Amino acid sequence: MPNIDKYNKAFTETFMIDESKLPELKYQDVSGWDSIGHMQLMSSLEEAFDIELDIDDIIDFSSYEKGKEILKKYGAEI
Amino acid sequence: MMDENGETLSFNLMGIQECQRNRYPLLFVDQITEAIPGKSVRGIKCFSYNEWFFPAHFDDEPNVPGFIQIECLVQTFIMSFLCMEEYKGKKTNFISINNVKFKRKIVPGETLDVEATLDSLKRGIAKGHAESFVNGEPACSAEFVVTIPDVFSRFMPNNTSQVKDGGR
Repeated sequence: MPNIDKYNKAFTETFMIDESKLPELKYQDVSGWDSIGHMQLMSSLEEAFDIELDIDDIIDFSSYEKGKEILKKYGAEI
Repeated sequence: MMDENGETLSFNLMGIQECQRNRYPLLFVDQITEAIPGKSVRGIKCFSYNEWFFPAHFDDEPNVPGFIQIECLVQTFIMSFLCMEEYKGKKTNFISINNVKFKRKIVPGETLDVEATLDSLKRGIAKGHAESFVNGEPACSAEFVVTIPDVFSRFMPNNTSQVKDGGR
């Protein structure tokens, strides 16, 4: 599966939202992306890309777009 | 108390209260007979008729309410990580309780033996399960997801540090 699809799937499945909402999506924009949802999203991404995110990156992961930059550091070009 | 290999702990009531914040009338584990930090724990809860809830549940047929059985399970379960120095004394909140099963009525004079396993603990979120027995007969069982807010809140974006929307 292409990285963009893996990345989008982590969001749509964790927060149960449509892919069309993703480009503008920020932390706490939807009810699913609350503090608990954030941890679920981080776990889904770690599993999907077989990586382990650092605490600083988890804190910086404040939007869909920002997340793409962060995953680049782990070798996952989105 | 620690055994010779340094891995198995046990706690009396005072030791339990050093590890977790639940107190009378909502402390529902009397003794931890075996705790392997970060892995598993065994505990007991003895029920006498002097428990505050028996006269109310029910006056003609005293038995342990379901929500209290769940507290027995989870309070034993959280000892699997609250016995570790880095988590000792921290508060915990429920995220979810799944697959709860009640298989047996528990009445005054009986003792509940609880066995709990910590399946994972990451970023302040602990997942695990517990089952319990009375005289060897299955009583209640459940799966839990619990947070340690002090730890969990360190991972929130933009320093939004309160667990304002998850767990009680």
